[in-house]
Amino acid sequence: MANPVTQDHRQPAATGTAPVAHRRRFEIRSLGEVGALVVLVVVFGALNPSTFLSVGNLQKVLDQAATPLIVGVGATLVILMGCIDLSVEGVMGAAGMTFILTTLHLRGGVESPTDLGFLSFVLAVLVGAALGAVNGLIHTRLKVPSFIVTLGVWFVGLGIGIILFGTSAQPNLSDAAAQWPTRNLLGLPHSFWLAVVVAVLGVVVTRYTKLGRFAYAIGNNEDIARSNGIPVRRIKLYVFVLAGAFSGLAGILAILQLGQGTPSVGASGAAGSSTLFLTIAAVVIGGTSLAGGRGGILRTVLGVFLLTILNNGLLLAGVDPGYRSGVSGLVLILAIVAAAWPLRSRLRIVK
Amino acid sequence: MHRTSRRRLARIAAAVTAATLLLAGCSKTNASSDSGSGGGSSAAPIAKDDLVLVASVINTTNPYMASMIEGAKALSAKLGVPLEVVDSQGSSQTEISKIQAILARGKKAVVMVNTVASSDAKPIVDAVKQAGGYVTIWWNKPDNLEPWDVGNNFVAFQKYSGVESGECTGKALAESLGGKGNVVGLAGVLDSTTSQTRVAGFKNALKAYPNIKLLDLQPANWDPQLGLSVTQNLLTKYPNQIDGIWAADDAMIIGATQATKKANVYDKIKYVSDGLYPDVVSLMKQPNSPVVGETFHRGFMAASIGLYTAYLAATGKIDPSTLPHEKRDSLFKLVCATPKDFEQYTKWDNDVAGWVDTLVNAKDPWSVEPTPLVGQGPEKLPS
Repeated sequence: MANPVTQDHRQPAATGTAPVAHRRRFEIRSLGEVGALVVLVVVFGALNPSTFLSVGNLQKVLDQAATPLIVGVGATLVILMGCIDLSVEGVMGAAGMTFILTTLHLRGGVESPTDLGFLSFVLAVLVGAALGAVNGLIHTRLKVPSFIVTLGVWFVGLGIGIILFGTSAQPNLSDAAAQWPTRNLLGLPHSFWLAVVVAVLGVVVTRYTKLGRFAYAIGNNEDIARSNGIPVRRIKLYVFVLAGAFSGLAGILAILQLGQGTPSVGASGAAGSSTLFLTIAAVVIGGTSLAGGRGGILRTVLGVFLLTILNNGLLLAGVDPGYRSGVSGLVLILAIVAAAWPLRSRLRIVK
Repeated sequence: MHRTSRRRLARIAAAVTAATLLLAGCSKTNASSDSGSGGGSSAAPIAKDDLVLVASVINTTNPYMASMIEGAKALSAKLGVPLEVVDSQGSSQTEISKIQAILARGKKAVVMVNTVASSDAKPIVDAVKQAGGYVTIWWNKPDNLEPWDVGNNFVAFQKYSGVESGECTGKALAESLGGKGNVVGLAGVLDSTTSQTRVAGFKNALKAYPNIKLLDLQPANWDPQLGLSVTQNLLTKYPNQIDGIWAADDAMIIGATQATKKANVYDKIKYVSDGLYPDVVSLMKQPNSPVVGETFHRGFMAASIGLYTAYLAATGKIDPSTLPHEKRDSLFKLVCATPKDFEQYTKWDNDVAGWVDTLVNAKDPWSVEPTPLVGQGPEKLPS
């Protein structure tokens, strides 16, 4: 499996010419996913022409996709290195609670004494980054597999969230704050713009910075990367910190969308399944290899939209809730098989 | 090197043998003291000093669970018996293992469990019985697991009727719409009996109103976030058609109101739900609130009634085997609260300790207002 992967990335450099490199970057395979997405939109649009394709529904899908998109950017970076970050929901809980408790909020009808304004935003992202740093440090310094470390930090983060929550009434945001994510800027919801900023940042990092290129190299083959002088441990740490910060940001956004503080804010994403499951599924469905070294942010964006639209469309089509998760799984498998069909001989994956 | 390792092995073997002997000794003394305390462990009352109260809740952040903990603490203070709170963190495994750990510590446990899932009831009841403790289960148990079949250690199963809750809020919603309009419903986790019974009650209530149309019923898993996103989707699916939203509990109606506020239709829709949580109380306090019906029942009442029933059995004040079946598989009274009268019920919230005082002074967990015993389980679904 490692061989075709390395070849994939060497080829553009070897052939050299710009157009080929450009085509390789998007790769034929992502056309399959784009096709699946288009088919979904056409089918759901035909089933409910008046609702599914309405501007209101489009805006809502974009709003619901925002949180998994932001988490997905971090998750993609981590998975590109061949690691995994399971801590996202814990980080979201800890950062989200930090945010709501330091910003203007109501608890049991009483206004909070602390209001750090924009600073609470920064503080919450820093909490996310700090938990990401814990992930990175334990993984690289103590040489514990990222799967185990981040699983632990998931529960540490949840614990921090629960302690911050304490035993008093549920903290609520003002209606104005709770409506920020769905208010529109240039016709699109704020939450989506936030996700766009993060996704663009992710694309820039993966394409044009050493951090991103080294992450690919580490995912391809860590030993070769190290012997080529790439500071593997440092890069891994930075990527985990970045992923933690993004999860923290997603936690803030999820709390804003809900208008209420809860440590389990990541446990149920807008699309009906938990944020962790949704984003990892989106990353993989998008075509980023769990083994690392292959894939990208834009693929994850595709994956998130596939899953969000699938959920939204099935509900609008009136599929019985009892059948919906089964139907959604089936449609997903069909979409992926169809998307990967032209490449089945080249992939040679039998796992 | 060979010899040292062999010597080390011998030393480990010796330590292990010693430990086993010690443990065996331990269990032997336990067994003898058990039989010494007079035949069956359930017959003899346990002295107050040997007791520990255990309140097991599903999580600690849901307002209902927070209220349960509050009630258990108030009862612990009133009785002068220490309290252990078990946070199941939404997981049956966590719940069962934490309860077992407390039972293993030796003090006789008086336990109230709000089970995460119905199937947890059996292993918990068995563990408590084996340890000689007393347990009351709240909300979830399999219908065929009855306290009188298990024995005195499973003192009682208690809950509020879900059918009654659904009927009460369904009726309030239909009435507020003048008997005509389109409504949608948000259910809890699909396989939860609490959700199923409330939904059945809701649908049953709507039968009396042929001009109320139930457009859609979707699960939102007791979760405010899902309540929000499912309602958003329903608002798109039925643009300008929804006149009323019903939810199986307040966590989800909070999410639903958040969704309608975002869509600027909050005031155009009526809401009903179960639980009268603090956040819903503040919505109802607003003039002309669109929240038109709620049920009132409280976690602190449930937890203290449950713990106190088990405590009475543990201290020999009641003998479960002589109690009528309705006091062992019980349905308690639920209040239908309206915007006009809800404040006369929420007044109890400000005096949890006072209410628990009344409960303990009455020495009877089945007759305290506003939530006396009203019937026997298991609950039947309306046909």
